[in-house]
Amino acid sequence: MSELKTIEAQLLQELQERAVSKYAYVLSETEKQELNTEGADFKLMRTVFGAGISVIVFDGTRKGAASGNDCSEEGIKSVVESAAAAAASSPEDAANDIAPDQGGHAFYQGIYEPDFERFFDRLKELQGAIAAEYSKVNVMQMVGDHTKTHSLYANSNGTKAESFRGCYDVTLEFSASDGEKNSGLDYTFLRTASLDKPLIELSDFRRKLSDIEKQIDPEPLQGKFEGTAVITPGCLVDLLSMTLENYAGSGVILDGTSLWLDKVGEKVADERITVGFDPFDETIVCAERITGDGFLAEPANVIENGVLKAHMLSLYAANKTGRPVMKSGSGLVMKAGAQSLEEIIGGIEKGLVVGGFSGGQPGTNGEFSGVAKNSFLIENGRVTKAVTETMINGNLGDMLQHVRGISAERDVQGIFTLPYLAVDGIIISGK
Amino acid sequence: MLNDILQPKTALFEDGLQTVLRGHENRSRRVVILKGNLTVNVRSEGRGISARVGKDGLYGFASIAEYTPEAAEKVLKAAKNNALLLARHAEKRFPMPPAFERGIVPLNCPIVDTEQKKIIEACRALDTYIEKTYPDLTSRTVIYSEDSQDRIIYSSDACCGHVTSPRCYIYVFLNSVTKDGVPVELFKALGGAGSFDDQFADLTKYYPDIEALYKKLKDKAEGVYAEAGYKQVVLGGMMGGMLAHEAVGHTVEADLVLGGSVAGPNLRKRVASDLVNLTDFAHTYNGGLAPLPVFLDDEGIRATDAPLIENGILTGYMNNRETAEHFGVNPAGNARAWTFADEPLIRMRNTCVLPGKNTVEELIASVDDGYYLIDSGNGQADLTGEFMFGVTCGYEIKHGKLGRALLDTTVSGVAFDMLKTVDMVSDTVEWSSSGFCGKKQMIPVGMGGPHMRCMIMIGGR
Repeated sequence: MSELKTIEAQLLQELQERAVSKYAYVLSETEKQELNTEGADFKLMRTVFGAGISVIVFDGTRKGAASGNDCSEEGIKSVVESAAAAAASSPEDAANDIAPDQGGHAFYQGIYEPDFERFFDRLKELQGAIAAEYSKVNVMQMVGDHTKTHSLYANSNGTKAESFRGCYDVTLEFSASDGEKNSGLDYTFLRTASLDKPLIELSDFRRKLSDIEKQIDPEPLQGKFEGTAVITPGCLVDLLSMTLENYAGSGVILDGTSLWLDKVGEKVADERITVGFDPFDETIVCAERITGDGFLAEPANVIENGVLKAHMLSLYAANKTGRPVMKSGSGLVMKAGAQSLEEIIGGIEKGLVVGGFSGGQPGTNGEFSGVAKNSFLIENGRVTKAVTETMINGNLGDMLQHVRGISAERDVQGIFTLPYLAVDGIIISGK
Repeated sequence: MLNDILQPKTALFEDGLQTVLRGHENRSRRVVILKGNLTVNVRSEGRGISARVGKDGLYGFASIAEYTPEAAEKVLKAAKNNALLLARHAEKRFPMPPAFERGIVPLNCPIVDTEQKKIIEACRALDTYIEKTYPDLTSRTVIYSEDSQDRIIYSSDACCGHVTSPRCYIYVFLNSVTKDGVPVELFKALGGAGSFDDQFADLTKYYPDIEALYKKLKDKAEGVYAEAGYKQVVLGGMMGGMLAHEAVGHTVEADLVLGGSVAGPNLRKRVASDLVNLTDFAHTYNGGLAPLPVFLDDEGIRATDAPLIENGILTGYMNNRETAEHFGVNPAGNARAWTFADEPLIRMRNTCVLPGKNTVEELIASVDDGYYLIDSGNGQADLTGEFMFGVTCGYEIKHGKLGRALLDTTVSGVAFDMLKTVDMVSDTVEWSSSGFCGKKQMIPVGMGGPHMRCMIMIGGR
């Protein structure tokens, strides 16, 4: 893991020989150690040595990019050649650019060298806890890994950032059964830099495992009604990501199809909603410290107290549209609400706790419809039963306007930190 | 294309260990032109070597992002060490699958690289054509996406070979608005297996497809929301393919069967009407190449077809070597990996509901009040067979005739319930091959189906 400087020297020489005066590059070395179970048994151990070279070169205002993982002299030459050829064949476009000089930086995040024996023990402990406390749960697959990444970003404007990151990831895929009765499938995830606590106490593991046992033999919902959807954090991350991309992403601002095109500074959501990206939030693990455009990452709210603060624009989209660039993009965080989840559910006459959403990609109008997965019916302020074959239908933009409540509890999974969001006006339908 | 530097390293395979050594290169080319602006212009290559070593049912895997003889030696050693390390911690041992057919699978086709300039020119030409021909569009996007796999595989006790999987597509997205100003969008993937010149030497052949897409978009701009509920529908061929993949295919992947999927207790039982036949084709369909042919999998198994449903009866699963041994059948070559750094998983290849005897026109004419669902944007399924497809293009059917177009909606159901309602099947099959399936890793898959008349849950206002 010490060859990046050598690769960088060869890369710079290649760029110089080609008289490329404007460029940016990322060099990386990674090492992943991964354990996999099938059912209750450890079956596979993997070691993955990775490498990467990504280069952006400019020919005037023409831009080309190429990447590869062959770090030999020939491989480096090939990547630079490919990027140069791509630039030469692209049209002049003054919006193409890289961030101005951000200075020199070194970042150290997480746990770079793993304690793999301890991680193995924590995974076995997690297996044991699930078997002992959630006896109806079948863990179909558990994947635990530690990845360390040494990377180097630099560009011709002077920015240079070296990063050393390491973290543990755990993914669980599970169902539950009781005799011949089964639940559906569910997943969850954790990223952490610490092995101090038993894994079962982290992420949303306990709630998800408890919920899946209650989802054995769910009942199909009958009929159709308009009600309140209590969206769990694990589901909210998908719906929120779709919403923000659908209304504030570079693509829809560039082509002018966004319904929030001219809404910056205006109210687009309930005033209790503050959501954005904060790679420095204490609950976010090993988030990027430099953006793809070469900016030092900064916390950035997209919506603050219900008001649209910014579009999520790349430098290209920002230059093209004359709007500000977003200098962030990882670590999705929503501000917690004032009510407990129990209080919110207690006030709902009829609705659904939505554990997952399996639906079509909404168009730019924000209309969504799909299956509510891992979900429970709410009747008269109580969660009454698990349901299946239940669809939900609504509009992403309306969803943020029609907020019933935001929970004080938030799930911390290392890559996002989100509360439960209860929204009114959702069409909930069964057979 | 990869040169074979691995063969001499098979001498390092150890007796008593089941070993697969794989050289693997992925290439991708991507160009995006958004409303005339070139927003993405990228080429990438990733290559490396992996080894998987199995002993007592425990597997060690290692990969390295280098393609050298030294890297091959390093991964063989690291994979063996991982298997031994795992054996120290794991409590159980398992039988290894037996040796299987030995042999050499020959190279199926070359991968031809195309200059980025040529790709960009083609995309710009198509973008210009769309802009001039359809000036009332609110936006348009042309995306070129090419990916290829080049693999050299050596197995200690099965087949070896050098196989490739190139494919390339141009996605055309067209945007318009309803009379109320609500945005609507449709897209179509043009292209298929092979390299750029195989698919895009003559762009004019795609003009009729773009014209048809434009007409559907204009219909959609006048469209209505579907009425939510349990409806009689005609699923188009693309929807049939999605059904084959999502609703049934995943539930009959043997690793998911062992994980408790609904297919487990239903083997050799009726799961569909007797009009339904489903096969995961390896490389040949109806006398020609299947959309994404697979000749050899990443465990060294020569690929053969995997029949899944015959006349409505569930007859089999898709397996890797280990699950095939568990179920007492021969593996058919479904263990596939996406990059050199990935271990092979049980994956679909070209999964297709077979054609029936009716014409598409007969199916539509037979529906008094329902929907014709043509295209899907995405789909997902569960272990229980509960599935969901996004519907991006569809029409009402009233008294046997097509009515108003539909705005985006979703259909859902439980596969083995829904398939029992299939009572008419068309005599032609439509294939889609541009998609990826996600299951720890992504993998290119082909999916196909005929038109089918059935009952299904549809979402709507």
